[in-house]
Amino acid sequence: MTLTRFVVRRAAGGLVFALVVASLTLLIARLAPGDATTGEAIAMTVEQRAALRADLGLDQPLLTQYGRWLVGLTRFDLGRSSLFKRPVADLVGERALNTALLAVVALVVASLVGIPLGRYTGASHAMLARAVGAASVAVLSLPPLLSALLLVLVAAHTGWLPAGGMTSGGLSGAAWLADLAWHLPVPVLALALPLAATLERVQSRAMAEAIGRPFVDASRARGLTRERTLRVHAWPASLAPVLGIYGVLVGAIFSGSFVVEVVTSWPGLGRLLFDALLARDVWLVAGCGAAGAASLAVATTMADVVHATLDPRLLERRG
Amino acid sequence: MLGLTALFWSTRQPAPSGRLEQGAQAPLPRGGTLVASLRTEPRSFNRLVSRDVATEIVTLLTQARLVRVNRATQQVEPWLAETWTTSPDGQVFTLTLREGLQWSDGAPFTSADVAFTFKAIFDPTTKSVLASGLEVDGQPLTTATPDAHTVVVTYPRPFGPGIRLLDNVVILPRHKLEAAVASGTLSDAWTPTTPPADIVGMGPFVLTRYEPGQRLTFARNPRYWRRDAAGQALPYLDGLVLAIVPNADAELLGLRSGQIDMTQQQLRAEDIATARDLERKGLVTVQEAGVTLDPDVFFFNLRPAAWAKDPRGTWLLTDAFRQAISHAVDREAYANTVYLGAAVPVHGPITPGNKDWFWPDLPRYPFDQAKARALLAGLGLTNRDADPWLEDAAGTEARFTLLAFRSLDRGAQVLKESLEAVGVAVDVVTLETGALIERMVTGRFETIFFNYVSSDTDPAMQRDLWLSSGSGHIWNISQPTPATPWEAQIDDLITRQAASIDQAERVRLFREVQRIFSEHLPALYFAAPRVYLAVSTRVRNATPGVSRPQLIWSADTLAVAPAAALR
Repeated sequence: MTLTRFVVRRAAGGLVFALVVASLTLLIARLAPGDATTGEAIAMTVEQRAALRADLGLDQPLLTQYGRWLVGLTRFDLGRSSLFKRPVADLVGERALNTALLAVVALVVASLVGIPLGRYTGASHAMLARAVGAASVAVLSLPPLLSALLLVLVAAHTGWLPAGGMTSGGLSGAAWLADLAWHLPVPVLALALPLAATLERVQSRAMAEAIGRPFVDASRARGLTRERTLRVHAWPASLAPVLGIYGVLVGAIFSGSFVVEVVTSWPGLGRLLFDALLARDVWLVAGCGAAGAASLAVATTMADVVHATLDPRLLERRG
Repeated sequence: MLGLTALFWSTRQPAPSGRLEQGAQAPLPRGGTLVASLRTEPRSFNRLVSRDVATEIVTLLTQARLVRVNRATQQVEPWLAETWTTSPDGQVFTLTLREGLQWSDGAPFTSADVAFTFKAIFDPTTKSVLASGLEVDGQPLTTATPDAHTVVVTYPRPFGPGIRLLDNVVILPRHKLEAAVASGTLSDAWTPTTPPADIVGMGPFVLTRYEPGQRLTFARNPRYWRRDAAGQALPYLDGLVLAIVPNADAELLGLRSGQIDMTQQQLRAEDIATARDLERKGLVTVQEAGVTLDPDVFFFNLRPAAWAKDPRGTWLLTDAFRQAISHAVDREAYANTVYLGAAVPVHGPITPGNKDWFWPDLPRYPFDQAKARALLAGLGLTNRDADPWLEDAAGTEARFTLLAFRSLDRGAQVLKESLEAVGVAVDVVTLETGALIERMVTGRFETIFFNYVSSDTDPAMQRDLWLSSGSGHIWNISQPTPATPWEAQIDDLITRQAASIDQAERVRLFREVQRIFSEHLPALYFAAPRVYLAVSTRVRNATPGVSRPQLIWSADTLAVAPAAALR
């Protein structure tokens, strides 16, 4: 299989995946008790509520509503949010950018921390390496909710960093960028710490396995220094399994961002989904689900492409 | 005599041009920006089409009404209308508007704007959420504008709250929205995507920026009409920011870190100690506004059909069963356990926080477990086996399911333990808000523990709760005809009370309503928390009230100390 064909197949699969996830989230949101009119039901007469349900199209059978939504999708119309009275595509677009920023920075930070540490711990038996490994296991057991709460508490008590939010407002240009960077550490660390620990553990194991393989011994026998052997032969060989988990990590980032955004008041997709679920805004829930699934599909495809580029056997295996 | 009094009655007058009466005190600092939290995002900037809290708060900042209900005193104050007179029959209010007022874009404000607003509210294409609240017995209020500064509002029938009803009417600019009303698109006007410059008002602030998910930024309205006692133009603040903070924990952390100056609503009982600690460190001041208007409420599903095939219905629907429950709960202990002492025991829906309508002599059910057991025994409920629960003659256990808001689980637990002590088993199920409300309005519940936010202190403005046909008659919603004789009696009394313009008679009638309510106990109340608010020490002139929003309602007179004054 050529790389182009591989990418096209993965992209098509990603589209189907996003559609299935969005449909399932829509169905699950519809199955929850109540609908978009529930929040105001106590302030309305039965007739007023029925009229509002009709206005929102909620009086139609589920299949009819779903069919209309599918037709809308062909025009990139994700429906209209009953909560915000705005097109879902606009809302999701605004918030997905904020989540993407958080996710990308968290992924970069996790990679910059986790991979070098894993490379070190996989190649060393020193006390420090064992301590780093133990710390990773401890961080891995820390769910993003807890790490976010701890970091927010530290920020609020010390005043070193903002305890929440994305920007301070009233700023523009370079000052806005600097302010954004000032707000990033708490949510980014909350998301990145468990990812960095995951990467460290995977990289460490892969590195240890690579070191034990014959070609590493052969390169040492050819007179290469230990450090050069590790850098030129062992480490590149160990990267394949690490790249393979990036797709999974992106999924973890999106599920983690759901709680981190709520705790740190970050205006992203996770918080939007949370608000939409509480308000029974089914189209917005489906839109958030579709955006999350599409991001996951894109990220896993990119990870697989890089993986396939580094290890062409992957394309051969997939025929 | 009363009629003559009404004829010549007009409101307590403010100083000319809306000046505040202010005692001898240090002048308040002018300038600065205050940051308040907002829990949710506004669904619209048009109060006519949206009733969510965020829209209401944005409207309080940017728009104005003819009269205002002061959240601290709970009394009506002149606002855009400087004075008014009432006809002897209480049906016609002639309001004189302040002269020389301008919208934030400089356009003159006249009675035509008021007439336009009423027209927009009652236009069916607007689908205004305010329309039904501005009807009396299903008939809309009508307006006439004899001149540019006079508005005559006619009620279809005498209505007890009178001019108070107009606190709900947010006056909209005709020159900006007339085309939308004409084309039937007002419901889509002034959405969160509307450029802020297009949103014109007569409130103390103008919206300058909305950053979804983050904040709304407001600047002083330079054409705002109100002045303080020294003649200084209000508001004191240069700007105000509503920071969107999704939960109470984040709000408290924001206060601690100085990111926000005040919270949208009162502190939770469990946060008061933390706030007191911050107060000792000089970061905030904790202010008590009084006792809440909205106590937690526990009620049974009193729809007879819901229990038709359930053997428990024979005793569960009786007054005596609910009276036994009322006797079984130690309200003092409840207030101390659930609200950590920051609450007062209550015996009915009207709390001491409601200054005009609270009745201290309301019949009570003192804590008395023996009496509770005796009442239950009178219903045939005695312990007939080895377990601790009572059973009826057929062996059916005295047991029911209690649905509770997740935030009320502590109260639900105390209630469960109190009832278990007299042999009644309670299975508590906590639900999130949407699921619980859906169960409530569709009648799929046995009992519910809930918090009901009242819209006004005047019972005639809460007819949805009192009338058997009301959507807020939570124990048996929207009855076509009253299910019980006592509900028919309450319907009659509330209708007469709402139609009377004699305040003493209204009070008498409402006490009778409360007496009947207390006798039959369709809903039980145990404690009402005190409303505590935490504000940054740099905030000056905060005037907390018990009605929501407790602090930001007086945004035009809030001030912040300059940084130098805090060093």
